[in-house]
Parts: sequence; C-alpha cells; structure tokens
Amino acid sequence: MAFEYVPGHSLMHRLDPRTKVLFFLLVTVLIIVIYDPIIMLGLLAIIVAMYKLSGIPLSKLWSITKALLPVFIMFLVLNYFVIPPRGATVYFYLLPGIAPVTVETTLIGITSALRFVLFIWLSRLLTFTTSISEILIAMVKMKSPPEIATSLGIAFSSVPLMINQFSTVIQAQKSRGSQIEVRNPIKKGISFIPVVVPGIYLTILRGMNVARTVEARAFTYNPAKRTFRRKIEFGREDYAFLATAGLFTAAVVAIKILYGWFDYTFILRDVLKLV
Amino acid sequence: MASKATVITCKNLTYTYPGTTEPALDGIDLEVQRGEIVLITGPTGAGKTTLCSSFNGLVPHFYGGTLDGQIYVLGQDVRKTTAGYLSTKVGMLFQDPSSQLISATVEDEVAFGPENLAIPVEEIEKRTDSVLDFMGLKAQKGRPPFALSGGQQQAVALAAVIAMKPEILVLDEPTSNLDPIGTVNIFSLLRRISREEENTIIIVEHKLQELVDIADRIVVIDDGKVRLEGPPREILAEDAVLLRERGLQPPQVSLLAHELRETGIHIEGIPLTIPEAFDTLSKALQTLKLPLSETKAEETKPFQATSKPIIEVQNASFQYPGGVLAVQDVSVNFYKEDFVGIIGQNGSGKTTLVKLLNGLLRPTRGIVNVFGLNSRDSPIHDLIKHVGYVFQDPDSQLFSKTVHQELSFGLKNLRVPRDQWESRINSVAKTLLIDSLLKEAPYSLSRGDRQRVAIASVLVMEPQVVVVDEPTTGQDPRKRREIMELMRMLHDKYEKTIIFITHDMDLVAEYAKRCIVMRDGGIMLDGVPHEIFLQYEELEKTHLKPPMITLLFKELGERYGLRKDILTVDEAFDYLKTKLVS
Repeated sequence: MAFEYVPGHSLMHRLDPRTKVLFFLLVTVLIIVIYDPIIMLGLLAIIVAMYKLSGIPLSKLWSITKALLPVFIMFLVLNYFVIPPRGATVYFYLLPGIAPVTVETTLIGITSALRFVLFIWLSRLLTFTTSISEILIAMVKMKSPPEIATSLGIAFSSVPLMINQFSTVIQAQKSRGSQIEVRNPIKKGISFIPVVVPGIYLTILRGMNVARTVEARAFTYNPAKRTFRRKIEFGREDYAFLATAGLFTAAVVAIKILYGWFDYTFILRDVLKLV
Repeated sequence: MASKATVITCKNLTYTYPGTTEPALDGIDLEVQRGEIVLITGPTGAGKTTLCSSFNGLVPHFYGGTLDGQIYVLGQDVRKTTAGYLSTKVGMLFQDPSSQLISATVEDEVAFGPENLAIPVEEIEKRTDSVLDFMGLKAQKGRPPFALSGGQQQAVALAAVIAMKPEILVLDEPTSNLDPIGTVNIFSLLRRISREEENTIIIVEHKLQELVDIADRIVVIDDGKVRLEGPPREILAEDAVLLRERGLQPPQVSLLAHELRETGIHIEGIPLTIPEAFDTLSKALQTLKLPLSETKAEETKPFQATSKPIIEVQNASFQYPGGVLAVQDVSVNFYKEDFVGIIGQNGSGKTTLVKLLNGLLRPTRGIVNVFGLNSRDSPIHDLIKHVGYVFQDPDSQLFSKTVHQELSFGLKNLRVPRDQWESRINSVAKTLLIDSLLKEAPYSLSRGDRQRVAIASVLVMEPQVVVVDEPTTGQDPRKRREIMELMRMLHDKYEKTIIFITHDMDLVAEYAKRCIVMRDGGIMLDGVPHEIFLQYEELEKTHLKPPMITLLFKELGERYGLRKDILTVDEAFDYLKTKLVS
C-alpha cells in the first residue's frame, strides 16, 4: 500500500511532518546537483542507514526495490538514446547507427537510474514514518480548512474497508460463475461490470454513512473551533536535523559551484584515475 | 413549550422521505422524560430508525423530505435548529457498526466526537481512556477499527458516542452484533449510565426479554404509528400474542404461558423471566405426581448418516495470507439430507469453513472433496454447480437492470443452453415468490425482496447444496423466520442440502436438523440440536446460550424430572399439554 505506516519512536518518527517536507526538498536539491554515480551510491547508503535507524525492516525496502528494477533498466537504456556522446570513445551501438555506448552515457544512465531509486526510497521512508493523522494536522497547521483535513483522513481510513467490500463482491460473483480471471482484456473489462456496479453502489452508500456519522458526532457544529488532539511542534530535534541537512546540502552546492566536483567523471577520473 | 423534566416531545409528528409518498412517520405522539430508559420496538420498516433520526435532527435536516407536526428536543424546535447543534446534546448510535467507524485507530474514533465539541486535549485523553477501559477495549486502542470483530466494532461505535457525554443517548440496535453475554453486559452498562449520570436513553431493540427489567417503558411502533405504549412488564405480559403477530419476539416463557392458559390450564400471572416461569409452572404442575422421571423424548435419534457424504472435509486448515489461521485441522462430512446450522462466536471460523465448500477458498492443508472433486485442483466453475453460496448482503452482488437479467447471469456463466433459461428462471422465481418482479430493477426492491433475488440467482444454477451465510442478521424476527421457512421449503420439497450460519440460537433450535458449533477455528460440537443445546456448560465456554425455553426446562427437569430436551415454544406447549390436560 502506498501509505503504509510503520509505527515507531525513532528520530524519523518524532520529526515534525513539516521538517520532513523540508528535508525532502533539501535532498531533491542534492539529487539535482550531484551527477556522480559513486556519490549517489553514498547517498543511497545513507538512506538505507536511515531505514535501519527508523526500525523499518529492510525486507520492505527490498520489496520496493524489486518493483523498481525494470524502471531502473529502462532509465539506463533510454539514456543511450537521448544523450549525445560528447566526443568520447564509442564502444558500440545498441541499435545500428543509434544509441552509442560510451563511458559518459553509461555513467549518466546509471546516475539517473540511481536518482530515481533514491527519490522513491526517500519518499517511502517519509511515508513509512509519518502517520496520516500527522500529515492532516500538518495541513491544518498550514492553514488548510479542517473540513479538508478531516475528510481526507476519513477517506484514507475507509480504504481497507472498501478493499474488504470489493473482495466480498468479487467472491459473490465468483460464486455465480463470473470469470474474473480471464486473459482477454476486452472480456476481462466486461467481466468486471458485475463487480464495479455493486462496488459503486457500496461506495456511495459508504459516503452517505460517513456523512451521517460525521453529522451525528457534531462535526458540523463548529469545525473552525474544534480541538485537534494531536499536536505537532517544531522541537530542538527538528532544528538540529534541518541544520545538519541544510549545511550538508549547502556545502555540496558550494563545492560544486566553486570546484566543479560531483560531476559524472569526478571520482572515477580525477580521484581513482580509472578513466 | 415542554415542561422542565420533559426532554423530547413529539406531537402528531409526520415525516415523508424525499422521493416517496408514504409517510415513514405517521402522526407520532410521544413524550420522553429526563432520566428515562425507553425501549422502542417494532417490525422492520416500522419507522423506528426514522423516529430516532428526528431526535438529533438528521430528520429532516440531513435527509430532506417533509416534516409535519411538532417535535421539541431539550426545548429546541428541531425544525428550527441544526443537526450539528443537536448532535452536541443527543448522541446517536446507528445500526450497522462498520458503517459508522471513520477513523484510523480506535483511539481516534472515540476522540473524534469530543474533538468536535472543542473540549481541551487533556480532558479528551481522560475521557477516551476511561470509556475504552469501561468497554473493555483498552488493548485495541491503537488498532484500526475495521480490523476488529463485529462485536468489538459495535463496542467502539458505542464508546465513540458515550465519550461525547450526550444528555440523550439514542441507540439503534446496539447489540445486533453481540453474543448473548455481551448483550447483557451492554444493557447493564446502559442502566448504570442512566442512574449515575441521569441520562435519558432511547434503545431500539428486538431483544425484548433482556430489557424487561431495564427499560422504564416500551413503545411499539408499526407503520409509522405508536401502537402500544406502557411499562415493559405490562406490555410484554399482556400483549405477548399481539406482539408476536406484529412480527416481534416477546419472551418465550410468556408465549408459553399464554398458550397454556388458552387451552384452559390455570396459569397464574404471565411470567417474563426464567425464575418467574419456573414458579408459575411449578404451581401448575402440582396437579401431577412429582417428580416424573423423563429426561428425554422417546426417540431423539443421535445424528446418523444414512448415505454416503457429498462433501468430505479431511484435516483441512486454512490460513489467510496475513497469517491468520482461521480453520484448523477440521474434519467433517456433509450429507445430502443435511439441514445444518453452524453457530459460534465471531472469528471462530464459520465463514471460512463454508467458503472452503465451494472453492472460494482452497485449504492450505488437508483436503476438501466436493461431489468427488478435490477442491484444490478443480476450477471453481465445477464446484459451484454443486454448491451454491448466498452472501449475507444482497447489495454486494446485484448489478443488473432487471431481476430477469440478474437471474440469467449464472446461467450464462455456466454456459447453460439458452432454451433452458426461461423455464429455469420462471420456476425458481415462482418458488421464491418473485415471479411478479422479473421486470423490476433489483435496486428498487425492498431489502427482503433483494435477498430473495440474491438467493434465486444462486438457485437457478441448480446446486444440490445451498450455503447461506447469516441470512437473518439485521432482520426482524418475522423476516428471519420467513427466510428460514424458505430454506425449510427448499429442503423438504426440493431436497436441497442446506447449510446456514446464524447468531440466532432460537432459529437453529427450531429449524436445523444438525448443528455444528465452532470455536477457535475448530469444530467443538456436532450433532442434533436436541443434544447440542443440552450441553449448557460447553456452550457457555464459547459465549453461546441455548434458547430461553430450553434453559427453563433445564430447571424444571432438574427439579421435577421433566424432559430437558425442549427447544421451542411449540415443543414445550405440546409436551406440557399432554401432561396437564389429561
């Protein structure tokens, strides 16, 4: 599930959701300025460490990554088609005459694929450690109307119930011989009508029931004044965390501008003298 | 204006839902005093829920429609205020527990109402903790409500209402998902709340006998009108037969006393509880030479198969992908002449077991043989030809434009030749009394008719075995019996094998020929109801209780040597008549 939350009390869990959003932006800056695949691997290692520290089982990380592998390869291959070789030695062509393979295009390809992985790992790290209710409170703090935050919260908590209801519908239709597992995509589409129609009906019903419940629990009495039980506060940890991440990013950007480091070839050619 | 002690006043209250012409409430006159516990009862569709919804203003403000007459709640004219405001004073629990759970955790659910009342955080935490403690839900605090059992969900929904500390509590069938023991606990909790906090409580219930000594007043509603009103003892005792005619369920012992009295047997007073009935019958039995020494009917045959099994479950287990072992090493056979009632607590594995019978689930261990087919390597298509499965909620399967199309769905899927369709559809429709509805849209029918359509849509496939999962949940006593009569007819006339799941012990006692009691994923008892329901202690271990009449005859049997294996009012009546009239 895209919004799975792993309960815990680690630093990542304790941070204010707003801190996490800012952290996300800072890492995005890093992703943009860093071109070196080895440095990128270093960043990935840091993220893995953060998973470990947050108490999220690495098996979860692996299951995300498995799903990313095809995309990873796609990024790698597509790069040969779009990046022109800038005077480097062409080893061979992927297709006759097009998609030349050079050291540079390979490095760029690997980097952009790794960037993609980093991006996903980071965003999942944040959703694993942030509960929906924290996100909603952050929304309220950032001045969104309580109606929006509350309805989003209800929508999210209704998801498992709706999944349950849909699987009941599917089972009921299977019991009447409905073939939902056919291969032919057109037949498959048609076979879903008996599932989708009751599904829509049940969804509308759920909507009505939720509206009725919310009304009966006095939500509409005075939503602007309602108490939000959970509080989120910018604490010392948040400042320290942001300062560290901010300094790190600023340093990287400065070094890049002043010295031109972190380019594709930086470590391989200038440090390790491999290329 | 209402006097100070009156909290609800309805005068000639009439209400019509938008898009309908028949009024749901038709001239209701009702007054409720502060601190009173009022039991509202009546058949399905009588207007009970509508009346309740008018107390917090959902009627008319949420539903629309036209409201005539007068209704004042806590001195406010309902028409001129809002549902949002009234809801701060009137807490309402709706019927279906899962429909009113909206939060990510149990704790959030209970805190939601108090948050809306703008109560300070510390106070909310205190209330949430104490209410959860009170309801025995402390361990579930951080769990998502949808993951709980039906009974626990109902307790959470009730906790969410109680945490708002409303002046008036309106509870629409608060125990429909609870086992007998849970039901008694909730009712005594309500009595405590009403005494300690001087709250007014309005309960809609079909379980009348449990509320005899808790409610101050009974209001019987039918067709949108107040039909009977008065102290529970008076109404239940004097009007027991009338109540039954209206489709309600007065205490079994009261009905028995009435029936005996009508045959000319002298019965002093109409009893409402088991001890009272024991005393009353003790007096009536004094004409006999006691003690007798009959412990059993002349011929209660133990359960015995007379043919080869049609479904064999051998050491079957089923584990859900999440790791829950729902059925554990179960071995059981089903026979052609079976009419089986499966009972057991929520989560005891009843539904999982029956889903193994038509291939909806395949055993993760062991074997299920259905008409000679191993369910593990037979396509579900072949299995459902033999075993039809009717789901509890008709709304989770009806999708067609007409009932006729709905019924042809299974035939098309099973590739039944077209020239057979009409005759099959017509004969099933006739059997289920829906032949006049074939051109109607399923969604426009009443809930009872929709259920019949759902059953018909399975029967057209002509399975030998019909599995019905909780066909009676959420229905009034009369509707429940109608469904069971239908099953009995299919069994007797069309020789169908019936397997049904229910929470209603009275129905199992009356209809089932065989009874399976499940507990913790295994089969605890399996036999004829006349033996099963005499295992009082075993049943209690899994929170089940035999019918009231059976418990009465347990007492009578122990004291006077009468037969103990009496499961229904009719049996009791016939038995006592032969003893007392001669």
